[in-house]
Amino acid sequence: METVNGAALRMTAIRKTFPGVVALDGVDLELNPGEVHALVGENGAGKSTLAQIAFGTLRADSGTVAARGTVGLVHQHFQLVGRLRVWQNVLLGREPRSGLRIDAAAAHRAVRDLAERNGLEIDPDAFVDELPVAARQRVELLRELYRNPSVLLLDEPTAALAPAEIDRFFATVTTLAREGTAVLVVTHKLAEVVAYTQRVSVLRRGKMVARFETAATSVDEIARAMVGGDLPAIAARQSVELQPCVKLTGVSAGEGASAVSRVTFDVRGGEIVGIAGVEGNGQNAIADAIAGMIPFHGSIEVPRTGIVPQDRHLEALVLGWSIVDNAVLGRQHALRRGAVVDRARARSDAASIVSRFDLRATSVDAPVRTLSGGNQQKLVVGRALIDDPPFVLAYQPTRGIDVGAATLVGSRLIEARNAGAGVLLISFDLDEIFALADRILVLYRGAIVGEFSSAGADRARIGRLMAGAAA
Amino acid sequence: MNASDAALLTTLLTLTLIKATPIAYAAIGGVLSERSGILNIGLEGMMTGGAFTAVVFSSLTGNPIAGLLAGIAAGALLGFVLGIAATAFKADQVVAGTGINLVAAGGAAYGLTLIFDQPGASPQVSALGNAFWILVAAAFAAAVLLHGILYYTPWGLRVRACGENAYAVADAGLRPLRLRMQAVVASGALAGLAGAFLSIGEVNLYSDGMTAGRGFIALAAVIFGRWTPLGATAAAVFFGFFEALQYVLQGRAGWLPSDAMQALPYVAALIAIAGLVGRVRAPAADGIPYEQAR
Amino acid sequence: MIRTAFRSAGALGGPAGAILLAFALAAVAMLIAGVSPLDGFSALFLGSLGGRSQLAETLVQTTALLFPALGVCVAFRAGLFNIGAEGQLLIGGLAAGALGAHLNVPAPLAAIALFAAGIAGGGLWGALAGWLRAKFSASEIISTLMLNFIAFSVASYLVSGPLKASAASGAQTAPLAPGAWLPILVPGTRLSVALLVALACAVALLWTLNRTVFGYELRASGEAPEAARRNGVNMARMTVLALTLSGAIAGAGGAAIVGGVLHRFNTQLSPGYGYTAIAVALVGDLHPLWICAAAFGFGILESGGLAMQALADVPKDAIHVIEGLIVLVLAARRYIATRAEAVPL
Repeated sequence: METVNGAALRMTAIRKTFPGVVALDGVDLELNPGEVHALVGENGAGKSTLAQIAFGTLRADSGTVAARGTVGLVHQHFQLVGRLRVWQNVLLGREPRSGLRIDAAAAHRAVRDLAERNGLEIDPDAFVDELPVAARQRVELLRELYRNPSVLLLDEPTAALAPAEIDRFFATVTTLAREGTAVLVVTHKLAEVVAYTQRVSVLRRGKMVARFETAATSVDEIARAMVGGDLPAIAARQSVELQPCVKLTGVSAGEGASAVSRVTFDVRGGEIVGIAGVEGNGQNAIADAIAGMIPFHGSIEVPRTGIVPQDRHLEALVLGWSIVDNAVLGRQHALRRGAVVDRARARSDAASIVSRFDLRATSVDAPVRTLSGGNQQKLVVGRALIDDPPFVLAYQPTRGIDVGAATLVGSRLIEARNAGAGVLLISFDLDEIFALADRILVLYRGAIVGEFSSAGADRARIGRLMAGAAA
Repeated sequence: MNASDAALLTTLLTLTLIKATPIAYAAIGGVLSERSGILNIGLEGMMTGGAFTAVVFSSLTGNPIAGLLAGIAAGALLGFVLGIAATAFKADQVVAGTGINLVAAGGAAYGLTLIFDQPGASPQVSALGNAFWILVAAAFAAAVLLHGILYYTPWGLRVRACGENAYAVADAGLRPLRLRMQAVVASGALAGLAGAFLSIGEVNLYSDGMTAGRGFIALAAVIFGRWTPLGATAAAVFFGFFEALQYVLQGRAGWLPSDAMQALPYVAALIAIAGLVGRVRAPAADGIPYEQAR
Repeated sequence: MIRTAFRSAGALGGPAGAILLAFALAAVAMLIAGVSPLDGFSALFLGSLGGRSQLAETLVQTTALLFPALGVCVAFRAGLFNIGAEGQLLIGGLAAGALGAHLNVPAPLAAIALFAAGIAGGGLWGALAGWLRAKFSASEIISTLMLNFIAFSVASYLVSGPLKASAASGAQTAPLAPGAWLPILVPGTRLSVALLVALACAVALLWTLNRTVFGYELRASGEAPEAARRNGVNMARMTVLALTLSGAIAGAGGAAIVGGVLHRFNTQLSPGYGYTAIAVALVGDLHPLWICAAAFGFGILESGGLAMQALADVPKDAIHVIEGLIVLVLAARRYIATRAEAVPL
């Protein structure tokens, strides 16, 4: 990799603090024109913060950012306006005019040309709301490309893409780089780092701890740099006699593109069944139907269930409340003594979650808002498991938490399975599925399109099924 | 149809237009504010502020046009206050709007004593007279104009984007808080105009409680009109009809007591917002503060 | 700079800061009226706290504000913006007045009957808004306000028609038999046992919110509605129950005024207690005991306001401006969580 006329982006001694946390501490980063550079690190290591400082949405407390030309950022959670059309999103703030009006024809043309030039297939008149995830990402990418960025930052760009879409996405990125753009890919998917980038920078707890030429390193070496040592070990699977537990028969639920139609499967006590699929293929409908949150057709036989919902902030926790009060949520009727909540029991339950999950908090009366994401998730999973439910529904149980917390959560799920519980694991992350599941179901457009025993399952084939290929 | 029926119908239609006008102005203002992402619960107070200020300035200058302009300015000022609360302080917009309603009602009552030394109602001032018909027509023109602005100009596109996802607007290099501020000030100005229409258009004085919940009926019109200027204006005509009906029926339908008939427009508004179950969707970021990173 | 001032006002702590602010704003209002704040305040405090009868009158106003403020508190804690306490109060008073006119039982029973009628009337009015929201997604912000006007129409119609005392009397119900009046606490004043009922209500509410399963679910649905919904709270039922309870408490306030002060019902029952109650509830930080303190503070303004107008020539309405400004300032504290199953507004 040769350096052409110096760096396109140079960040020097960047420091950034948030109340109570040092997010970045003296970080240097240099991007060269024409390179695809990976920025890796655990959740909470400071990757997104660094990207946002480079882009300008956050300001560093100290340090310098020097960019040649404009910087573009494609967010992990797309920042698009769903109820506007593609061209309106792409050209927002730069609308071509004729007189006082927007020149819709010219706008339409500009977006179509830009899309064609970059090999990104899109209908400029479509409403973003109605597009699949991969197409939305193309819209966000187009919006950034319209500004002709010399530096392009991609924050977890493949989190919601199927494997085949990932290949296509990086083909575009590689072309852009070849034309001189400096590309930074913020990710935690090390396989992609090795496959598609030239250099890797590793952040750990706000510090840049390692840099590698991709060709001269390995997934293992990068992973060790990320966590600062060897990965913690996950609980061992014991062989358990399988018992009937959950049965879905011909279940149809949900609306529109993310509905499921006549889905049939079972989960037996003593196994973890993983539902693999790209986000938006019916996972919500399955989870919500089992949880009794939405109406459905067909039959669902399900015993008492411990639920780990997808979004812990929105669906699982009252952030302003203490650990004790949150330990009651969903169990308030079980903890009822007459009209009142049994507070002694709530305290002891909270204490037991804290010790069993190694939950780090100043006290059980600390507001949940003050906990890190990993500790919040430990509380959510701990609460779901505390009454030893015969069935556990875990939707993305390790999303956005550090490796230590994720391993612990995974271990507790495996232990619940070892104790005879059935576990349904819904995840968009194939790695998580492979790490935890005994059996894998592939979900595509609201239907189960494949079933595999995870021992010896063909990962590439599952990836193709997730993308809709009739493999 | 005999002559008296025809006269009655004409009265009803004329009254409908008159009664719809202030609701329409406020509702258009509500649409603009909500499309930008600020819930304007303070419409009622902005109308009160506009109505009272218009009377004060008409009285001071003897010129109802000055009164009208002052009423618009008073509404805009209250819109500015709501905008500051909603943008700079990320305040709870419903609570802030309620505060504005209380301030305006209290302030007008305080002002009546202070300025006119006359609690309850102001003395009569010079009113717009027949010129108020221009304002009636202008309400409908304003709806069409705002429709054009919202759907065909860059500013309109940006305001609408703001009400859906302010972060996307910021990423496009625009300033969402400024856009919201512009929208809510304009919204206040329209509500102030609505209030001035009530005090120096329809009549020639201010009396306590004269807005009588029309700001909230306008909010119902915003919903009923699905957050579009033309829809909200149509809804305002619908509510205006019931208000007019109440006047026309008074003394004519002896079986319906007048006290009960006064409830007619409010009942209509209740039924309108309750009758839309599951069929409308507010702007996605309506009422949600934009948290600017720093 | 404004922002800093604003933040530090908030940092003084909800109730304390807001009360300080209230005094500062009152001083400004007096200056505008051309009165020295010293004269204004002395008139205000002498008129509200300067003697036994003044203090009693202040407590009468405190009582009138405390009931609807506790009602508002219940709704807000459940994430519901009930601005209809005024109408709920009015309907509660109407029910108490309608029943009271025919009540011929011993005082304790009469008191219970009056409050029961008030609770039923106000509860019904609150439930109506709850039902419209739960069943038809009608925003309670609009519906409760509309119901205020409808309540006034209904009450006006009934007292000038079916419930009218006699052809000769004005628009009001027949008076309560003296035996049915709420017992007076301080002889020679209008202060009745309603104050004690209101205080008991506050304590009961505190216990309900903090200790019971119902209170737990109510607070959860206010603070994190989606989490509540997914964790066993029936949101539609909670919406109806919370607004019913909210209206019932406000309605009890109507009964307190009818039974303790007016001894009959007319539509001038409330000079806007239901709206001031919003300010009281917010200044009281939506905490029942703090709300008692806030109600006393606003009681001082309400009863001293008249003295201030008479003695110092500051229009009484100035205090309503101050109330509004306090609400506006406290809005920055963000009390109300946005409910995920949000209704169109």
